[in-house]
Amino acid sequence: MSNIIEIILKRVGTLFATLLIMSFIIFILVEIMPGDVAQMILGQSATEESLAALREVKGLNEPLLTRYWKWISQAVQGDLGESLYMKGVAINSILWRRVGHSLVLAATAFLIFVPLSIFFGVLAGVREKKFSDSLISFFGLATMALPEFVSGILLITVFAVKLDVLPIVSVIPIGETLWQNLNILILPALSITFVMFGYVSRMQRSSVINVMNSDYIRSAILKGMSKRYVIFRHALKNALLPTITIIGMNMGWLFGGLVVVETLFGYPGMGSLLMTAIRTRDLPLIQACVLLITVIYSHSTMITDILYNYLNPLIRFEGEGV
Amino acid sequence: MDADILELKNVSVNFETHEGLFSAVKNISLSVKRNQSIGIIGESGCGKSTLSFSIMRYLAHNAILEGSIIFKGEDLSTKSEKELESYRGNRLAMVFQNPYSSLNPALTIGFQLDEVGIKHQRLTKSRARRASIKALKMMNIGDAEGIVLRYPHQVSGGIQQRICIAMAILCRPDLMILDEPTTALDVTTEAVILDTINELREKLKMSLIYISHDMGVINKVAEHIVVMYNGEIVEKGPKHTIFDSPKHPYTRALINCMPRKGVVKEESRLNTIKGYVRQRGAFEEGCPFAPRCEKKSATCEKMYGLKAVGVDHLAACERAYATDVSQSNKITGNRAYHFNKTNIETRELLNIKNLHKIYPGKRKTYALNGVDLKVDSRSVVGVVGESGCGKTTLGNLIVGLYKPTDGTILFDNTDISKVWKKRSFKTLKDIQLIFQNPGRSLNPSKSVQQIIGRPMKSLNGIKSSKERRTLILELLKKVDLGSEYLNKKSSQLSGGEQQRVAIARALSINPELIVCDEPTSALDVSVQAAVLNLLNDLQVETNIAYLFISHDLNVINYISDYVIVLYGGKVCEYGKKSEIMSKPSHPYTSALLSAVSEVDPKKQKKVIKLGKKLNDPAKKPKGCPFAGRCHKQVGNICVTKYPPQHNVSETHFYNCHIPLN
Amino acid sequence: MSYILFQLKRNPLAILGICILILWIIIAIVGPSLVPFSYTEMDSMNQLVPMGTDGHVLGTDNLGRDILARIVYGSRSILSVALLTSILSTVLGVIIGFSAGYFKTIIDTIFLRAMDIIMSIPPLVLSLVVLGILGDSTIFSLTLIVSVAFIPATAKVARGVLLTEKNQEYVMSARIRGENHLYIMFIEILPNTMGSIIVEATARFAYSIMMVASLGFLGVGMQPPTPDWGMMVIENKPVISQAPWAVLFPALAIASLVIAVSIFSDFISKVLINGR
Repeated sequence: MSNIIEIILKRVGTLFATLLIMSFIIFILVEIMPGDVAQMILGQSATEESLAALREVKGLNEPLLTRYWKWISQAVQGDLGESLYMKGVAINSILWRRVGHSLVLAATAFLIFVPLSIFFGVLAGVREKKFSDSLISFFGLATMALPEFVSGILLITVFAVKLDVLPIVSVIPIGETLWQNLNILILPALSITFVMFGYVSRMQRSSVINVMNSDYIRSAILKGMSKRYVIFRHALKNALLPTITIIGMNMGWLFGGLVVVETLFGYPGMGSLLMTAIRTRDLPLIQACVLLITVIYSHSTMITDILYNYLNPLIRFEGEGV
Repeated sequence: MDADILELKNVSVNFETHEGLFSAVKNISLSVKRNQSIGIIGESGCGKSTLSFSIMRYLAHNAILEGSIIFKGEDLSTKSEKELESYRGNRLAMVFQNPYSSLNPALTIGFQLDEVGIKHQRLTKSRARRASIKALKMMNIGDAEGIVLRYPHQVSGGIQQRICIAMAILCRPDLMILDEPTTALDVTTEAVILDTINELREKLKMSLIYISHDMGVINKVAEHIVVMYNGEIVEKGPKHTIFDSPKHPYTRALINCMPRKGVVKEESRLNTIKGYVRQRGAFEEGCPFAPRCEKKSATCEKMYGLKAVGVDHLAACERAYATDVSQSNKITGNRAYHFNKTNIETRELLNIKNLHKIYPGKRKTYALNGVDLKVDSRSVVGVVGESGCGKTTLGNLIVGLYKPTDGTILFDNTDISKVWKKRSFKTLKDIQLIFQNPGRSLNPSKSVQQIIGRPMKSLNGIKSSKERRTLILELLKKVDLGSEYLNKKSSQLSGGEQQRVAIARALSINPELIVCDEPTSALDVSVQAAVLNLLNDLQVETNIAYLFISHDLNVINYISDYVIVLYGGKVCEYGKKSEIMSKPSHPYTSALLSAVSEVDPKKQKKVIKLGKKLNDPAKKPKGCPFAGRCHKQVGNICVTKYPPQHNVSETHFYNCHIPLN
Repeated sequence: MSYILFQLKRNPLAILGICILILWIIIAIVGPSLVPFSYTEMDSMNQLVPMGTDGHVLGTDNLGRDILARIVYGSRSILSVALLTSILSTVLGVIIGFSAGYFKTIIDTIFLRAMDIIMSIPPLVLSLVVLGILGDSTIFSLTLIVSVAFIPATAKVARGVLLTEKNQEYVMSARIRGENHLYIMFIEILPNTMGSIIVEATARFAYSIMMVASLGFLGVGMQPPTPDWGMMVIENKPVISQAPWAVLFPALAIASLVIAVSIFSDFISKVLINGR
C-alpha cells in the first residue's frame, strides 16, 4: 500500500511543478507576442501621455517576474484578472460559468464514448477476423480519421438540416440555464465521441487480441475453462488495463475537440470563449482560458496515471522473489 | 493387463501457409500405458511441442489434424471444444516451459488454482482453496497459505513452476504432459522438481509424457524414450536399450553429441551432425533424416517405417547399425585431440583481485563480493554457477561493460578496471565477448560481411575493403561457413550459423582473451557440439584464452582446463578440471555435481537436497553466502564469518569452515 | 516486395485507401491547371448556387467562388504542410527521443519533464493560441508550430523503440568494440527501428491533416487568398441550411483524405511491423 501512496505523492508533486512552469510559459508566451497592450485598450488615437499613464496604472512597466507573480498569485486565489476587450469586466464573471458548461459537455462525451469503445473494442478483438470484427474495425478507422468539425458538419446536415430533430446551433437562450436545454448537448457530444471512439476502440481491440494470444490464456484454456469464462475472468482484466492509459493519453484530443466543437455549434463553453479572446486579442482572457484548460487537462492525465498504477498488480505489489 | 491411457494412431499435423502445406508431425503412432512415463527427445523443429498440443487439441487455425487420439477409449480428435473442456485440466493436464508467462499476472495464485477445482470437481470456494493449499504442500512449497494470496510476479521462477505443476495435478489427472518444464530453471532447482515429479507419479499413479532436449533429464523421469526428428518418430524403446544400442543413425549421432561425465576435450571430439533441419513439405516421403545421414542408401529416400529391432524396441532404420553394437554408445572421438602444451610458454594474462560490483538503484544488488581469479594465456577457465552467482557480471566487468565498484583487473599487467569508454584500443582489441543469444548479438539489419568487417575497420584500422574482404573470407572458412554467407543478413541465419559468425567477429581482431558467456546454452545439442569443437580447434590454432561461463557442468567438464565455482558473488572453489570433478571439496560443488543429470541411464546418483534459504542479493554479504542452503553447515560461524581458504593442492583451493581431512 | 503484394491482396480496403491518396496527390500536383475557374474569381451573379449551375461543378460559395477550384487549390497547401510537418516532427522526435533514451542520465529526466510540460497543453490549443496571436499563418509557421506540438508524441515513440533495442546484445557488442555513441545510435540501432518510425511518421501525416484542417476551421489556417479547407467550412457554416454543399464538399474532401491516409498508415503498420 505504501507503494501507491508514494506514487500518488510523486505524481502530485510533478503536477504541481509542471503547472508552475506551464503557467509561467503561458504568461510569457502571451506577453512576448507582438502588440502593445496599452494601445489595444485605448485604441489607435490615444496620446502618448495617456498611454504612459495607463501603463503605469496597469503596472505594465514592472519587470516580467513581478507581473507574473502578481498574476499567478491572484489566479490561485480565484481571481483571474480583468478582460481587456470588455473593458474592466472581471474575467471570473464570464469564465466560470463557461467552464461548467464545458465540463458538462466533456462529461457527456466521456460517458458516451468510453463504454461504447470498450464494448465494441472487446467485441471486435474477441471475434478477430470474423465479419463483425472487420465491420467494427473499419468503422473505427473511419471515425478516427474525421476531425470533430467534419463529423459535426455531417451530423448537422443529417439531423438538423434534413431531419430537423435537433438544433443547428447549440446556444442557450438568454435567461435560461443549460439544464433547461439539454438537447443542445447531443450533437456536440456526438461529434467529439466519434474521434475518441475510433481511436480507443481500435486500441482496445488490439489489446484484446494481444492478450488472447498470450501464454496464460493458453494455460487457462488447457485447464479446461470455457472460452466465455476465459474471456471474462482471465483476459478482460489484462486487456482493459492499457485502455486506461490510452484514454488518458487521448484526453488532449478531447479538450482540443471541445474548442472546435464549441465553435462549430456556438456552444457557450470555455473553448468558444477562448476563440473569442483570440479574435479580440484579449490577452488576459487568453491567459486565463489557457491556464484553466491546462490545469484541468493535467489533472485528468494525473488521475488516469494514478488509476493505472493502482489497478496494475505488477506495480502495486512489488515483486519480492520468495 | 495394463490398459492404454493414450493411444495415438497415425497422427499427422500439417500447417497451411502462404508458401504451401508444411508437415509438422507425420504419422505418429504411440501408446502410453497407465502409470507409464515416456520421454520424448528431439531438437528444435522435431515437432515434439506440436505433438503435445495436438494431444490437447490446441492447435492454430491453419493446422490440419489427421489420425486418431484415443484417450481412455474415447477419440479426442473428433470431440468438440465443449466436450474437450471436461478433459483438459481434469484427466489430461499440461505444464509448459516458461512458468512466468503461463500464469496470469492480474490474478492471484490462489484464484488460478481454485478455479480448477471449482470447474472440474464442483467444489465450493472454500473447499477449492483447501484443495489448492494441499496441492501446493504436496509440491513442497513452504507457506502455502501465504502464497495463495500473492501474485505470480511476487514469487521466484522455481516456485512458479511448482505452482503450475500443482495446478496440473489438482484433479489427479490420468496423464500429464510436461513440455520442457525445467529448461528455464537452475540445475539445483531442476533436480528438486524432477524428484518431486517422480514422487507425485508414484503417489498418484499418473502417466507422464515428458518432453525435453536433455537426455539426462529424461532419464531421471522416464522409462521409455521416443526419439523424434523433423516430425517423425525415428526410434523408441526403453531408455537403457536406447542408450546402449541405438539403431537409428540420428539417435546414435544425437547421443554422441552430448557432453557428459568422462568425456573431455583432451581425449575426444564431440560428434556432430552435418547439415541443418529444414521445413518439410506435407507430401515428402522417405526418411526425414536421409539428407543428413552418413549411412543413407537409395531406399532411404523413398521408404520409411518403424520396424521392431529388439524387445519393445522399434527403430525406423535397422540396417545401419544392426551389427555394430559394440561401438554404438561411445563417443569414439573421430580424432583424438592433442594438446601440446608442454613446450609452449604461457604467461599470466588476466589477474583479478578482490573484485566487487554493486549495482545501484532503489534496491542495491551486491553482484560480486570479492572474487579473485587468474587466467593464463592459452588456457580455458570455466566459470560455473547458477543464476545470481555473479558469473555474468564477472564477464561484463572483464570486457568493460561496467566499472567495478572495488578491486582490480590486471590484463597483461595493465590495470583495466575501467569502463570501455576509457579503455585503450589495444585493450578493446585484446578482449572480446561472445554472447548467449547469437540472434541478438548480431545486428539483424546488417550483413555478415559488415558485421565481421566492422571491428577490422574500427579497431584494426584496415581501411581497404578489398583487404577486409579477403580476411573475412578466411575467417568464414575457419568457422566452416562458405563465401555465400557474405551478404546474408543475420536474421536469415540459423542459431548455429549466427554463433559462428559471432565467433568469426570476435576473432577478426586477433584477441588474446575471449569471454564466452553461455555461448551454447541457446543452441541445439548437435549444434552445440559443433560450436564446442570449433572453439577448441580455434584455440589450438591461435593460442587464445577463454573465460567460459556456463551453468551446464557437462559442457564445462568437456571444455575447461580450470574450473571456478561461484555462489552469491564469491568463489567457492577453484582448481584444475580433473581435481574439481573428481574431488569436489566445497559443499556447493558437491551438491551441484550431484544435481547434474546423466546422459547414461545406468549412472544415476542421489541428489543432495539443499535448504531453501536463498541469500538476498540486496543485503550486504556477511559470512558464507551458501550458509542458508548448505547441507553441511557447521554452525553459527558459517553465517557470521566468511570462511577461510583451504588448499587441497597447489592448484586446487576452496573456501569453507569445514577443514580438509 | 512480393510480401507487400501478398498483403495487398488480403486487404482490399488498403488498395482503395492507397488509390484515393494517390488521387489526391495527383490532384494537388496537376489539378490547379485543369480547373476552369480560378480560386479567387468571385462571380457575384452566382453566389451560393448549387452543383452544376453555369459550369460550377460543385457550386459556389458565399462569395461566388467556385468550390471545386478552391478544393483543388487547397489540396496543395494542406498536403504540403502535413507532409512537412510529419517529416519535421518525426526527424526531430527521433533525434530528441533517441538522445533521451540512450543517455539515460540527467538528459532523460530533463527530456521527460520537458515533454510532460509541453504535453500538459492540448496540442490544438497550443497551436491555436500561438498562431492566433502571431497573426498571419504561412506554410512555414503552420509547419513549425504543429511540429512543435507533435514532437513530444513522436519523441516518446522514438525513445520507446530505442530503449527496446538498447538492451540487445548487439548494442553491448558495439560498445565493447569502442564504437562512439553517435555511431551506435544511428548506424547500429536506427536501421532496426525504421519500421516503427515509418509507421509513426505516416500516423503523424494523418494527424497533421486533421490538425491543419481544424486550425483552418478555427480561423488560423492559411490566410486568404489561399484557400483553406477548414476555413471554407467555417465561412459557409452560417448558410448551411440554404446551401449545404458549400460546407459539405470541403468537409468530405477532408474526410476522404484523412481516411485514405489512415488506411495507408494502418497498412504500412501491418506490413512493416508484423511482417518480420
